[in-house]
Amino acid sequence: MLQVKAGDLERMSLLFQRHHRALFGFLFHLTQRREASEDMVQTVFYRMLKYRNSFTEGSSFSGWMYHIARNVLKDQKFGFDNKYDPIDALEDKIAGSTSADDSLEKKQSRQQLYDALAMLSEGDREILMLNRMKELNYPEISEIMGISQGAARVRVSRAVEELKKIFIKKGIKKDS
Amino acid sequence: MNDCEEYRERLADWHMGRLDAAAAAGLERHLNNCADCREALAATAFVLDSINNLQAPEPPANMKVDFRAMLDDFKAKEKKPVFRDRVWSWLLQPRLPLAYGLIILLCIGGAYLLGRSNKQGHEIQELHAGVQEQKQTMMLAMLDNPLASERIKAVSYTNDLKKVDDKVIDALFTTLNNDPNVNVRLSALEALAALGNHPEVRTGLIKSISTQDSPVIQLAIADVMLKLQEKGSISPFKQLLKQRGLDENVRDKVKQTITKLI
Repeated sequence: MLQVKAGDLERMSLLFQRHHRALFGFLFHLTQRREASEDMVQTVFYRMLKYRNSFTEGSSFSGWMYHIARNVLKDQKFGFDNKYDPIDALEDKIAGSTSADDSLEKKQSRQQLYDALAMLSEGDREILMLNRMKELNYPEISEIMGISQGAARVRVSRAVEELKKIFIKKGIKKDS
Repeated sequence: MNDCEEYRERLADWHMGRLDAAAAAGLERHLNNCADCREALAATAFVLDSINNLQAPEPPANMKVDFRAMLDDFKAKEKKPVFRDRVWSWLLQPRLPLAYGLIILLCIGGAYLLGRSNKQGHEIQELHAGVQEQKQTMMLAMLDNPLASERIKAVSYTNDLKKVDDKVIDALFTTLNNDPNVNVRLSALEALAALGNHPEVRTGLIKSISTQDSPVIQLAIADVMLKLQEKGSISPFKQLLKQRGLDENVRDKVKQTITKLI
């Protein structure tokens, strides 16, 4: 990103190559909207190009990217809509699998999970989706959310506890 | 806070491998002796694994193409800032609002004084024309925005324009026939449908029938043609029916439209 900042804009295509899939997944899981997520990925990359001077040396690129993604998401004012895109319609498009090897149970458990996530607060959903990213640790998550690392830790733990309660309420169990 | 509560706050971090060695060892010792916390850990692990294993749909291939187009466009604009952009950025400088305020006040004052000398109507008309022109320039500039939602907004500004000239109509047709996003194309079609009293709009819409490949747009054009009672569309619709692989819903709709227009 520093090279992009220094004027080598072409380098952004490498960053796109490396990160667009994860970014698309993050936005999709938080909105359940395919086309809107596609548009938002473009917007995030456009904003990174436009505001490249705000990227500071030594900071994490992923942290910066998801921070911008969160703002784009807020601008769009999308709620989490677990009924928006019928999961079935997505089956053949799921990364790394085909509809043939995606069993009915898998589909059901995914739908159950989306239903459970819909019952969480927006903030809890967001922090859990950031927490699942391998490239993000507490320093990045706290930077993205604009809170301290300690607060980020506590919020992840509380969001997990909330989801555990929802799982119990909905009778979601291992192998259910 | 008792020990268990304190340890349970660390279960998620432990499962994600985010605890330092000492804290992890402490938690593991506690887990060895506490069946309740082991149960809590199993539930935490299940929740986290469910989320971590959640798969997103594969991003469509055209995303890369769209990104490439956006990047090339961005690079071109950076290289050679368009004169119009420079004018806009100069006009939109943050220190200028006060000046604008003064200009507007002066214009209003001027218009008032002129009005008193019986020239009011003419001057205000000019003022309106200026505002209209600005709106139009803004709309045309926004149609180049890389964000589909902004382009839709730009198209919707057509409704605010009292007088629509050829430039605007051309821009709307370019959008209808070339924009990569179907929603933007659809909004351009709606805007054009509202301009059905312009003969060139009708001709352009008829021409557009053969260039559209999205069933949604084809259905919408059929509706517009029916609404405008445009008999000139019958022949291109008949051509469209000959097209192989035409969506069945479109085929039915076009047949109905032709029958109703004849």
